[in-house]
Amino acid sequence: MSNPITSIKLVLLGEAAVGKSSIVLRFVSNDFSENKEPTIGAAFLTQRVNINDHTVKFEIWDTAGQERFASLAPMYYRNAQAALVVYDITKPQSFIKARHWVKELHEQANKNIIIALVGNKVDILEDNEDERKVSREEAEKLAEEEDLLFFETSAKTGTNISEVFLGIGEKIPLKGPEDEHTNGGLNVTEDQRVNLANTANASENASACSC
Amino acid sequence: MLSPERRTSMAERRPSFANFSGNSNHIDTLMVPHLAGIEDPLPETTPEKVDVLIAGTGLVESVLAAALAWQGSTVLHVDTNDYYGDSAATLTVDQIKNWVNRVNNNDIISYNNAKLYLSTSIGPSCKYMSKDFGIDLSPKILFAKSDLLSILVKSRVHQYLEFQSLSTFHTYENDSFEKLTNTKQDIFTDQNLSLMTKRNLMKFLKFVLNWEEMPEIWQPYADKSITQFLFEKFKLEKPQVFELVFSIGLCCSVDTKVPLALHRIRRYLISYDVYGPFPVLYSKYGGAGEVSQGFCRSAAVAGATYKLNEKLYSYNPTTQVATFTDGSKVTVTEKIIMSPTQAPEGNQHIPDQKYEVNRMVCLVEKDCKEWFSEDESAAVVVFPPGSLKSGNKHVVQTLILGAGSECCPQNTSIWYLSTIESGVRAEMDLDAALEALEVSIVRESSSDITDNNDIVKIDEDGRPIINSVRLGQSFKEYIPRESVQHLMKLSYTQYTSTPPFDVVNPALFDNDELNNRANSVNKFIPNASDNGIIYTAMPSSEISYDEVVTAAKVLYEKIVGSDDDFFDVDFEDEDNDTVPQGASVNGTISYENAIDDDDDEDVDMGIRGDDSNEFVGQMEI
Repeated sequence: MSNPITSIKLVLLGEAAVGKSSIVLRFVSNDFSENKEPTIGAAFLTQRVNINDHTVKFEIWDTAGQERFASLAPMYYRNAQAALVVYDITKPQSFIKARHWVKELHEQANKNIIIALVGNKVDILEDNEDERKVSREEAEKLAEEEDLLFFETSAKTGTNISEVFLGIGEKIPLKGPEDEHTNGGLNVTEDQRVNLANTANASENASACSC
Repeated sequence: MLSPERRTSMAERRPSFANFSGNSNHIDTLMVPHLAGIEDPLPETTPEKVDVLIAGTGLVESVLAAALAWQGSTVLHVDTNDYYGDSAATLTVDQIKNWVNRVNNNDIISYNNAKLYLSTSIGPSCKYMSKDFGIDLSPKILFAKSDLLSILVKSRVHQYLEFQSLSTFHTYENDSFEKLTNTKQDIFTDQNLSLMTKRNLMKFLKFVLNWEEMPEIWQPYADKSITQFLFEKFKLEKPQVFELVFSIGLCCSVDTKVPLALHRIRRYLISYDVYGPFPVLYSKYGGAGEVSQGFCRSAAVAGATYKLNEKLYSYNPTTQVATFTDGSKVTVTEKIIMSPTQAPEGNQHIPDQKYEVNRMVCLVEKDCKEWFSEDESAAVVVFPPGSLKSGNKHVVQTLILGAGSECCPQNTSIWYLSTIESGVRAEMDLDAALEALEVSIVRESSSDITDNNDIVKIDEDGRPIINSVRLGQSFKEYIPRESVQHLMKLSYTQYTSTPPFDVVNPALFDNDELNNRANSVNKFIPNASDNGIIYTAMPSSEISYDEVVTAAKVLYEKIVGSDDDFFDVDFEDEDNDTVPQGASVNGTISYENAIDDDDDEDVDMGIRGDDSNEFVGQMEI
């Protein structure tokens, strides 16, 4: 019972301390589901999600701090199929920065990248509604103009977190991974790609010579 | 030199994952740090104090940065450029324009004589965009069995990259391209080879795979040239000798010494069939520039701090304070490692760079798939000594990349040519090789009449001329021939302290005597801005990545004391698309345990060597 798996490269963007990492940790950590832990390695965080009959494997790329001094590498955006642009609803400055990242993504990333605009920290409003400094309407307007998914979340309480990733997963065309490498009409099939972690079977070579 | 005291490893310093996962069972077993920035908010300023400052994000520097960061050193990694890669960068056409201007203004040490021709069909709202192209300053191919490949897998940096195969090696001889006979099947089925030649060739191939264990065969020739050895000892004929030496061995001249050449020929043969029926790979979207970015990201994940657009002003080895041109400062407790391209004004310690590499890069409006194997987008073409009408003394090596490499758009290709010849002779050789390539591709491809009258005009003699702009010093005699349309033509000279086709000399890094205070007087030059800095070597003419890990390891050992734990990291992300277990719930999300203990994914590169030996045994005729 092997579901088809679609790998999705998802990149995280947003001002420092808006809760990018908390959102991801909430998504992948074990208090979000009963028995599961995220995979943490050198490359990226991965988390599998089953959506209907399909398995979506999120490969979540953190900026690893390289955005701090305007030093994000082109590699970061390359072939990203999804991006979370996160701001803090209590910090107008972080929303300005979010606009900047959306613009940057449109310039640098794949044309058909799915971007989710995420206003985090709605839990703060529970105590005091006046803390809100970025209106829902303003964010919705940006999302509409730029064709973004939009969510208001709380990484602290878990509000709407799963909806963000489910929303992205549902918008991604769930086909084979080869479709993710289309670029300007050019279709490079997966079989051209060599996976360095898998050495080939040499038996073909050995059997080819029968003398 | 042995390390007196080991620096605490990454895991010892930052057993952090356990904290956020809330699972204390992990604390003893986890050998992997958190993703930088995931656990703690990162500071908004560069660190005040680091173990190592690395300047330049070229290949050696980037591999070193990642190795040190995972080992537990604090690393500040800067680059004067606003892009990653430095001498190994992959650049857009606009970035190339800028780079050429800086080279011709003497703003970039180690390069000169940059010439650029650019067609008007690249630019905003033109047929091609600047960023459609990724042009490598140091084009490289990756042997399937090589130290860098092992490190790429071990460090997981390969997961950031995409590699494609390259199986076609052409040897240019008698005005035509001979496709390489590199497998025993080819040898047996090649109608052009006599039975005696086949026998001799097989004999040599069997020998070379284990040449080091058979000194009695090659020792008498140890100081002789490989060509003499192959002619005399193995009675091979010139076409086979040239293929072995120049295409398989990728040697530079007929004088290449026997042991070096045997090593290089073996490198190709043992790489064949490791991942499939091809010996080398190349990375998509750009070669060395992508690999550098991958290692920089890896270093950042392990906690290294990155800052582009940062240039060192001076370093004071007494106070250990490095000052940047923007006024910021950092205390460097261990070493400063710097590419010569990054040297501060007033530098006096850059090692002699007496070796030249002359390069030419052409963007050509032609897919060149005639040169590629099916389903591939790259080929190597080698012009052996004496094969060109310029009477070339040294080899001209050419790497051809097609659109499938994603370094250029559909129906175009990138041609990288290089030679260790110098001066005017180098230009003649490169021009002759370019012409041979053009003639060949025009001959081999049909239906390539260009129909774009805006770009191509016909002059009085009926020759097509590209409507062009010129930058820097122009190609005065440049006239495009027939239907090969050049979108860009770039040539430049690069200097290095590494001899051709050799690896870096560790002695290069020994001008750092400041750690040993007794000797510091010998090396201290008053008023020099770079006292105490260790310079790396610029890339050599080597077309493979083979020198990179060697150089990074030598530097690593100088800093850490030993290279025992060079990338000695256990990652837990062994998850590799195994079938997820656990029930899925329709319409909702269910989470799968992504941690698997499938150690079988670990690649033991040694195994393939054994197979190669078996392969030899079966080659007996």
